[in-house]
Amino acid sequence: MTHHNPPEDTERAIKVHVTQGESHVTTDPNVVMTTVLGSCIAACIRDPQSGVGGMNHFLLPDAGDGRGTGGDAVRYGAYAMELLINELLKKGARRERLEAKIFGGAKLFDGLSDVGASNSAFAERFLRDEGIPIVSSSTGGVSARRVEFWPASGRVRQRLVAVDNAPQDVRRPAPVPMPAASSGDVDLF
Amino acid sequence: MPQASTISVLVVDDQLTMRALIRNALQQIGFKDIREAPDGEEALKNLLAKPANLVISDFNMPKMDGLALLRAVRSHPPIRQTAFVMLTGRADRELVQRAVQFGVNNYCVKPFTVQGLRDKIEQVFGQLT
Repeated sequence: MTHHNPPEDTERAIKVHVTQGESHVTTDPNVVMTTVLGSCIAACIRDPQSGVGGMNHFLLPDAGDGRGTGGDAVRYGAYAMELLINELLKKGARRERLEAKIFGGAKLFDGLSDVGASNSAFAERFLRDEGIPIVSSSTGGVSARRVEFWPASGRVRQRLVAVDNAPQDVRRPAPVPMPAASSGDVDLF
Repeated sequence: MPQASTISVLVVDDQLTMRALIRNALQQIGFKDIREAPDGEEALKNLLAKPANLVISDFNMPKMDGLALLRAVRSHPPIRQTAFVMLTGRADRELVQRAVQFGVNNYCVKPFTVQGLRDKIEQVFGQLT
């Protein structure tokens, strides 16, 4: 992370806010992606050579055992990652050149479950299994995070946010962030 | 009623994690003969070398995508009868319509549940034991 005024900090910057359950991919060097994370994870993945990069923001549903690692939860997370990776590949990224930075997975409240930790563990394992190197990360802890990601350069700026100052949906994210797991229908059959 | 354990399956997806998840779901349903391929090209080679009863394939893949694989399967007489279930994203309605034209047997929208996948397979094979 750099702290001097980078060339990306210009008035031309186009801010794209990525909320829970979303992912966004761009080839525009003027785009900066922003998000605010509590126990959720944001994966920032890019292909440095083609300049394609993107961010997702997801929360695995709690499996009920406090670990969020049940089969359905993992299918959900894998889908969130797949959406981002497929969009990167569609826009010209090459799988073998992808690199990732991951953020979030905080434990904002005392309690038995640590959904944030299971979210981080999922993201790390997914990326390792898929052979996508994690070039930097900031996960865990007890603070929310405000993250800005410049896909063209790969630069990330992170600010920690006290729980009390974090938006309500970051403090208490809804348990089901994306389309519900589906028996799957477009009604053609 | 067909026994899941007697049905051979080829799982086709470019993401190792997704293949592992599909395999795990299939094992929970009772399937035992499960093979994997990372893209359509490998899947076609695999099927021509050793046919399977069922293909469960992703759409977005390098080299040969799920739709091209479906067309290839339907155009090779020895394997053209293979049951073919496509896994798609929620936004892929147009893809599903094209897959229907090319003879897909069913489709399942990600993220799927084990029961959801089971239902889709049973719509093709009948109730599984």
